[in-house]
Amino acid sequence: MPVDPITLTIDDKEVTVPKGTLIIRAAEQLGIEIPRFCDHPYLAPAGACRQCYVQVEGQGKLQTSCTVAVAPGMVVRTQNTSDAARQAQVANLEFLLLNHPLDCPICDRGGECPLQDQALAFGPGESRFIDAKRVFPKPVPLSPLVGLDRERCVLCARCTRFCDEISGDRFLELFARSAGERVSIAAGEDFRSPFSGNTIQICPVGALTATPYRFVARPFDLTSGDSVCQHCSAGCNVRVDVRRGEVVRVLARENPDVNDAWICDKGRFAYRHADAPGRITTPLIRDRGLEPASFGEILPWLAERCRSGRVAFLTGGRLMDEDYYALSKLARTVVGTNDLDHRRAFHGGLAEVVAAAAVTDRERSVTYRDVEHAPVILLVGLDAEQEVPILHLRIRKAAARGAKVFVVHPRRTRLHDVAEHLPTRPGHEVFVLDRIREGVDGESFEARAAAALRGAGGSGVVLVGERLAEHPLAADLALAVASKTGSRFGYVTRRANDRGALGAGVHPSLLPGGRRLGVAGERAEVEAVWGSIMASEDGRDAQEILQACADRLVDVLFVIGADPLRDHPDAALTRRALANVGTLVVQSIELGDLEPFASVFLPAAPAAEKDGHVTDWEGRSQRIRPVRDALGISRPDWEIFAGLAAAMGSDLGFETLEELHEEMASLLAPRAMPERPNVWAGAGPPQWLDDLTLFTYPLLVDEGRLSDGAEELKAALEDPAFAEMHPVDAEKRGLADGVDVRLTTAAGDATVPLRVTEHVAAGSVFVPFNQPGLAANSLLSGRSTASVTVAAVDEGSGPEAVPDAALATGPAA
Amino acid sequence: MSLWFEPRLTRDWDDPSMIGLDGYVAKGGYEALSKALAMTDADIVDVVKSSGLRGRGGAGFPAGMKWGFVPRDTGKPTYVVANFDESEPGTCNNRELVERDPHRLLEGMAIAALAIGCETAYLYVRGEYLWQSMVLERAIAQAYAAGHLGPDVQGSGKRVDVVLHRGAGAYICGEETALLNSLEGFRGQPRLRPPFPAVEGLFASPTVINNVETLMNVPDILVRGAEWFRELGTEKSPGTKMVTVSGKVERPGNFEVPLGTSFRIVLEELAGGVLGGRALKAWTPGGSSTPMLTAEHLDVGLDYESLAEAGSMLGTAAIMVMDDTDCVVDCATRMVRFYAHESCGKCTPCREGSWWATRVLERLEDGQGQAPDLPIMRDLGTNLMFRAFCALADGTASVINSSLQHFPDEYEAHVRLGGCPLKVEHLEEVPA
Ligand SMILES: Cc1cc2nc3c(=O)[nH]c(=O)nc-3n(C[C@H](O)[C@H](O)[C@H](O)COP(=O)(O)O)c2cc1C
Ligand code: SF4
Ligand code: SF4
Ligand code: SF4
Ligand code: FES
Repeated sequence: MPVDPITLTIDDKEVTVPKGTLIIRAAEQLGIEIPRFCDHPYLAPAGACRQCYVQVEGQGKLQTSCTVAVAPGMVVRTQNTSDAARQAQVANLEFLLLNHPLDCPICDRGGECPLQDQALAFGPGESRFIDAKRVFPKPVPLSPLVGLDRERCVLCARCTRFCDEISGDRFLELFARSAGERVSIAAGEDFRSPFSGNTIQICPVGALTATPYRFVARPFDLTSGDSVCQHCSAGCNVRVDVRRGEVVRVLARENPDVNDAWICDKGRFAYRHADAPGRITTPLIRDRGLEPASFGEILPWLAERCRSGRVAFLTGGRLMDEDYYALSKLARTVVGTNDLDHRRAFHGGLAEVVAAAAVTDRERSVTYRDVEHAPVILLVGLDAEQEVPILHLRIRKAAARGAKVFVVHPRRTRLHDVAEHLPTRPGHEVFVLDRIREGVDGESFEARAAAALRGAGGSGVVLVGERLAEHPLAADLALAVASKTGSRFGYVTRRANDRGALGAGVHPSLLPGGRRLGVAGERAEVEAVWGSIMASEDGRDAQEILQACADRLVDVLFVIGADPLRDHPDAALTRRALANVGTLVVQSIELGDLEPFASVFLPAAPAAEKDGHVTDWEGRSQRIRPVRDALGISRPDWEIFAGLAAAMGSDLGFETLEELHEEMASLLAPRAMPERPNVWAGAGPPQWLDDLTLFTYPLLVDEGRLSDGAEELKAALEDPAFAEMHPVDAEKRGLADGVDVRLTTAAGDATVPLRVTEHVAAGSVFVPFNQPGLAANSLLSGRSTASVTVAAVDEGSGPEAVPDAALATGPAA
Repeated sequence: MSLWFEPRLTRDWDDPSMIGLDGYVAKGGYEALSKALAMTDADIVDVVKSSGLRGRGGAGFPAGMKWGFVPRDTGKPTYVVANFDESEPGTCNNRELVERDPHRLLEGMAIAALAIGCETAYLYVRGEYLWQSMVLERAIAQAYAAGHLGPDVQGSGKRVDVVLHRGAGAYICGEETALLNSLEGFRGQPRLRPPFPAVEGLFASPTVINNVETLMNVPDILVRGAEWFRELGTEKSPGTKMVTVSGKVERPGNFEVPLGTSFRIVLEELAGGVLGGRALKAWTPGGSSTPMLTAEHLDVGLDYESLAEAGSMLGTAAIMVMDDTDCVVDCATRMVRFYAHESCGKCTPCREGSWWATRVLERLEDGQGQAPDLPIMRDLGTNLMFRAFCALADGTASVINSSLQHFPDEYEAHVRLGGCPLKVEHLEEVPA
């Protein structure tokens, strides 16, 4: 029974709903569909289209059911039982169609259009309108992704309200008035929102259309599958539309526990990757000139090498839970190595263990719902909009409900309008966290954050991005802040299934369920299911594995669903490692950049062709279903691991996904964590470093492999490489906005245009990780930060050189 | 001519010094404010309540009651907004009130502010009213200099600031919630109610919005009392009302009359009768958005109740007079075209329906009307009335419905004769 239940009747049927429910929602509960255009369950009521009229007994005028809340004993009649309501709806439809172009035959929305459906269901058969319709040039591009046909627009303001209320970037607005009113965007501006595609999906007509889908399909041509987006750890529920075997569209599927009704543009528009030209569908062997081979040939060959040599496994964050589990077990019980990792170079300490264990302790876990209802949110080391966009929207939703949001990050994020930001030099987050943990007095950011968290009555939320884990203690310190203030704690990994990999123990020192290899009791729990774990010492992490490969200490390196050349924060080391390792086995869906180094390719099936689970940043494991058959003889990763185990004369113990999942479930059940977090001895005052700290993280739309083929997405949202620097630092070096600068680190150098902006912390230089023009890992040595010097490329064309004496005066402020 | 009652709002209109502070003070100006400062805010509200003063902006909502709705314990500031958007066709009485007596408005606003504990009162001025803005800016400066406004009103320690904001020229911005949006810097489109402005208005804070004339009645009420106020007007519509008479009359202009005065007296005594002694054909009692009436209604009293009974509304009391040479279809066309143009675009019936109605009416006027156009017009009236988001479209519907109701033959004649039956005759009779 809902809180404050209210009982009313709609079309003579009784229904009980919580107080505040709108009539239109209450009717839905009875299965009564009141026609609507402007109403959307995730947007504030507008009452603009006037389609949803109902009769409420005792009210002289008809009422719009999308704006009126239920009342006890209310008697509502919809179009089903009220002639007046029906007449009003028919009349309104006539109004809507006056100026409508009725070009359904060439409209992308045709066949799935609410206006078309309603006109068909009860619109007037013929129009009484004989004048010239209003015309607009059509369609106008709002961005390379989104086209607007103003003739089809019914001015429901869903799109503009989305931009205002949900994404908060307010690109779309209504312009002009009366019959000339139209949706538009400021002159000279592009609809540069990473959430732009949602407006297309919620547009109730074919006014907003997706350029990549324009004229591509009719709804009846499509087969659809329910899936989960693979682009980040948000876990967005999506529907994938396939036309003749080709993915042509991705739509958000509503799930109020996860993504509400939204997805980001990357999730929506980066879907061509599985059909990219480099796709491999059979094993390939280098010795035969990368000719196709069968698994039957290749697995025994590989098994032989694995038996005799030193083996290591590197993977990424994009396999299924089941794949990771099979890999963890293969490495530990068949191959006999703990040299496996899915991370780049992060060491999350206890925070990571807590995440891996999916703790039963609710204080130490966070869900989207917790975020939504939190009165206070502290975000450290995460640019949510760029890294986990739907989490960003949920934080905005919380802010709209009144949550106080505090962000500790070296670069301003798009939460800036709803949050307090403390721009913090990378590496200095520990000092901030330490002060928050101590609960310092006064009016400082730290004092207010601490007081707010303490005052949140256990509903405060601390969210920590995995980048923070570069500092050996930072993530644990954040955990300590959460413990001390009684807040919930979330360790937010970035890639779609990092969390699944962590949980399954694709990690040099963690076994499934966050059990530590080095803790006998925890290890024994795993061995009880697996049998003996062959190697008992903690293995090498990703950086160490690559170092070992470079040092020729590894004979066989498996690179599974990952591209360390692009992703590992040490490009030079990766290159040496790949060149020096004996046998490089690339298990992937495509040839990619590793082609010159690979000894063999094993064809893995992409997510669209797989069954299994992925675990989002919350730790929520969600099922995905194949939307089409696997191409060629490519197969799910776990089956390849099982095949290899068999070829090595062993047995992983499962033959079907169900068996695997059942075994896995026993080890991945949430566990109680006995220890409290480390006690932190105090960070001391931050040291001001003379040099600059380079930091980097991937922006949402970049050169990442999964965005291959998403040309419109890149045209709309991808920036070429740049560097950002604080004006204080730029001034000291005599660097002006827009000049080309040379960045030099211990690992290498690069030239990019400079943006001088107060939106990065003084003392730091930001470069995006993987934009066109710069693979930032060429500047890194195993961490996402590095000491850097920045100088104008062309002294002649830059501003006048600043004498050294000026530099010596130190920070200006 | 000598009046049969003592004028109130217009009593000093002959005195040009009233435009300045000295003239106003010489006539007892700002004494009401002193009085209000000595009263509790609840007492101010009570006096206005018992005066029965009703909103002059159109809807006639009791002002004191509105002030009484303002919650005072929300922790948010409260606001007073004076609605000087005056854009209803035919209406210009707020304008003359302000031009001749600007300080009375400021004093009324300040008293309203004291009544609801407001420190910042906004004055929203119709975009086209440039001269009136200048008059007000000057008056505001004088009132500040003399200490009637500002951080320490008349030495009381209370703060009342008045901020003038000029609109950009949109009829809809007179609608109170659209006005609030406009004042906040957003698009002038109405907001959903509830929440009502009294609870969540300007900047989501409790807000009282009153018409200029409403506020200008307040100082006298404080000084002379509620009973005095009720001496004129009717039981339910006490006080006087400014009426603006325009159209086919001998003496168009603004006149103050006790509420309940019959249209006949206004037309014949004040406005000098129909122009050239012609026959009265139709008139709007409260601006073009109120249903038009006919010669049959000459003796209807100009007050909220009598006009409602006659099937119309007091509205802004802007009386537009049409004589027997005026084509009702032509008038309806112009009026509907105005509402179509001023539709804010937010909701379907108003945006599309008024646009369609304009097409059909223009066609009828042009002699292109067809038989099906009349049922279309009737349907448009039905489908616009009470179907839109705000009352603007009800105005559009009123034009259509009332003109069709009273002059169906004239519409039919337009179709039958292929044009306006009055045009030829009319042209012949206009003196050279
Ligand atoms: C379309 C529309 C236009 C309006 N224009 C005005 C206006 O110009 N001036 C005004 O005082 N009230 C106008 N109103 C009425 C206001 O919404 C509001 O009722 C009034 O300002 C309240 O003041 P009062 O109670 O003193 O009359 C308009 C209402 C509508 C629906
Ligand atoms: S473009 Fe679509 S969503 Fe936006 S107002 Fe028009 S019909 Fe509504
Ligand atoms: S937010 Fe993440 S999971 Fe959701 S659609 Fe975007 S990339 Fe995919
Ligand atoms: S009726 Fe609708 S379109 Fe017309 S002015 Fe009001 S809100 Fe705007
Ligand atoms: S759905 Fe109710 S007014 Fe649009």
